[in-house]
Amino acid sequence: MSGDTTAADRSARARRWSAKDLLRRQTTTLVFVVIVGVVVLTVQSSGGFLSRISIETFFQFLAIPVVIGLAQMATLAVGQMNLAVGAIGGFAACLAGILMADAGLPVWLGAVVAVLAGLACGLINGVIVVLTQINGFIVTLATMTILSGVQYALVGTRTVTSDAWPQLQSLGSARPLGVPLIFWLSLAIAGLLSLAYRHALVARKMLASGGNPLAATLSGISNSRSLIAAHGLSGLLCGVAALLVLCSLPGVNKSIGGDWLLPSFAAPIIGGVALTGGGVAVLGTVLAATIVRLVDTARAAFQLDPSWVNLVIGAVVLGTVALGQANRRPKGLVRVRPTGPSRASTSEATPTGGVA
Amino acid sequence: MTTTTSSPWALEVRAVSKAFPGVRALDAVNLRLAPGEVHALLGENGAGKSTLIKILTGIQTADTGQILVGGTERVFHSAHEATAAGIGAVHQERNVVTAFTVAENIALGNTPTRHGRVDWRAVRDGARRVLDMLDFRIDPDTPMNRLSPAQTQLVEIARGLYADSAVLLLDEPTASISDNESGLLFDVVHRLTDQGRAVLFVSHKLEEVFAHCRTATVFRDGRSVAEAVQLADVDRDTVVDLLVGRTLAKLDVPDRAPDRTSTPAIELRGVETERGHRSVDLSVHRGEIVGLYGLVGAGRTELAHALLGLDKITGGEVRVSGEVVRIKDVGDALSRHRIGYVTEDRKAEGLFLDQTVARNLTVTVLGQLSNRWGVLRRKAARVAADEYIDSLDIRVSSRDQIVGQLSGGNQQKVSLGKWLAARTDILVIDEPTVGIDVRTKGAFYRLIWDLADQGKAVLVISSDLAEMVTLVDTIAVMQDFEVTGHVANTHDYDEMSKAVIRLVHRTSENVA
Repeated sequence: MSGDTTAADRSARARRWSAKDLLRRQTTTLVFVVIVGVVVLTVQSSGGFLSRISIETFFQFLAIPVVIGLAQMATLAVGQMNLAVGAIGGFAACLAGILMADAGLPVWLGAVVAVLAGLACGLINGVIVVLTQINGFIVTLATMTILSGVQYALVGTRTVTSDAWPQLQSLGSARPLGVPLIFWLSLAIAGLLSLAYRHALVARKMLASGGNPLAATLSGISNSRSLIAAHGLSGLLCGVAALLVLCSLPGVNKSIGGDWLLPSFAAPIIGGVALTGGGVAVLGTVLAATIVRLVDTARAAFQLDPSWVNLVIGAVVLGTVALGQANRRPKGLVRVRPTGPSRASTSEATPTGGVA
Repeated sequence: MTTTTSSPWALEVRAVSKAFPGVRALDAVNLRLAPGEVHALLGENGAGKSTLIKILTGIQTADTGQILVGGTERVFHSAHEATAAGIGAVHQERNVVTAFTVAENIALGNTPTRHGRVDWRAVRDGARRVLDMLDFRIDPDTPMNRLSPAQTQLVEIARGLYADSAVLLLDEPTASISDNESGLLFDVVHRLTDQGRAVLFVSHKLEEVFAHCRTATVFRDGRSVAEAVQLADVDRDTVVDLLVGRTLAKLDVPDRAPDRTSTPAIELRGVETERGHRSVDLSVHRGEIVGLYGLVGAGRTELAHALLGLDKITGGEVRVSGEVVRIKDVGDALSRHRIGYVTEDRKAEGLFLDQTVARNLTVTVLGQLSNRWGVLRRKAARVAADEYIDSLDIRVSSRDQIVGQLSGGNQQKVSLGKWLAARTDILVIDEPTVGIDVRTKGAFYRLIWDLADQGKAVLVISSDLAEMVTLVDTIAVMQDFEVTGHVANTHDYDEMSKAVIRLVHRTSENVA
């Protein structure tokens, strides 16, 4: 029996990494696009793109898109959306900024406040969704508006400069191995999330609720808890993004977070997260955020109007969703007993087990 | 094991009632389940069986009454509490997380963990243990979305076995699986009862009930009309009387003699498909009903899909009324060749559950019911809908009733009706009576006979051999994506089952 087991396991693993599957996977496409983008930019800039400064800037402004993409992914995984990603991040950054600058809050505590404020907002979103049974789209649309208002009330037209939190600023300018610390941080978060979605029970429960709420209920999994956890996680990541803002930007004002909505959706959707819930794609989200960043860099390099970026990203999001639909081949059914070698290939399974 | 000796009953339901707005689903029902027995819970659709199952598994709570597990009174607020109390269940609907693997679905809700981390090895081993019990050879790491409905049902059964419960509730577990697989399931069931566990078996298949259950409780209109009947002491007719509350006229199989001399309405010659069908020969004449029988994974539904252009045909030819055709998609099959397909999974594929009966019935003919500006002629649509509500005897309060509110049998009629509305000549009906009660089944058979008498060619796919023997004229047996033979139906169950089973096992023996 145990001999069988390992043999079956091995064959499953071997199948998982077959070249055919690798080609079919979205991640492969994304890596390819990233490489093409880097090559084009390098050639266009005659190698300038690979200079130390340019690389630093590239990753400096990639950290936040990665984190807010993951924040959106957390809600998409349970079949919800979080329109308030930018509003939560902006509010949390401004709250912590004001407390540090005006109320003399110790800087380390300010950092904690930023993260916890995000978590709290996310949890509130989740609780409202569960208690009112109103669609998360509407709930987060409302909290987005409210939080943007609060953010404006906090800072008004002023910009709170980063002089009040020099320690965070020095973290933001640290460059271990030539890459900004905050980017390493965003990668670490992505790695943690990837592990969590694969192995943590609470995350598997979220995916079960997202994939089939009824099946989850029948298995004793609380969908309410999954929704609150997912919105909480989303808020927490927005809080982390707020912290990265404090580390990397020269100050905070009312416009922080205002332009996060599209990139937050672009990263997970281009990255391969289904809008219907039940699955995540951490690596895909990171890669897609990188692509968006490449588009942004290209825009600057070719000296195009900034509005082009939104146009391109919007079109790419639409295109990805459309391609995803078109590529969805009729799902091959696994037959219990494959009998002929001639047909063995038809029963080959593509692993889609919730996490890509 | 949590069995206590204080009570003779593994599970006792005392005067449980449950009301929904406008409906009294359960009215003081009783049920007693002894350890070591298979107890049948019988009742027509809407009799309250599923409501009781939901209460026993913590999905809903009873308004009044008591539930005792091993002599201790319990109230369950979630499925988890029920499982913890030793009640496992296999639900009627196919409820799985398609993005997960087979193994994770089996363990869902009771996933083994170490320090909050999922113990994947334990998940896989546990899944393999129950899959082996069912002799269901599938890699536990297979993604769920690769499984057919019947395979999915087997996974659901495996899930019920996973928790090692003292009481196992099986809500129509055999509705969509083949006789062979049911056999394996019952082997497991008897093994469990030998270990002193109690099994509650909900089914519409009386043959199975009489073959495997010792006692039965019968529900009718939310009341328990018979409690703990010893099945050895009663006959089938008595049980049917209890079920429907009046004597049901025995189903008369009409003398059918379809004309097989004309050109077949649809004919497959040496058809091969992308899915792996090899040299499939099959023909259905006007007025003939051909049954396609086979085990799960034999490739029956897949063949129907290929026929409708949902899968690619890679070899051989398909002839409609003698002419070789290439069918591109379902729209093509319907409009050019007049082929309709009543799906196996009517809830997921066959109906718009939250729309009205009239809209469902007319969805295939919207083009004909619209004027030249593309605006629907509402009166014509109403007339068309009423016609089929009448002719199929669909029980509705009005044509504007939501389909999701209808009983299973009536939903199936709507699903069939929309293809009739499209004036099809060839009907492919996949598992026509899954989850439909005895009385409605009879009505449905008569309906299919009538359709054949009107000159339609009907291909019925079914895993229910008794249904095949009653309903069709010829049985084609499919095994491993090949048609292994045809048997002319004599309507004699014993004789037919022997002939069919021989054909089912022919290729597997050759291969082995």
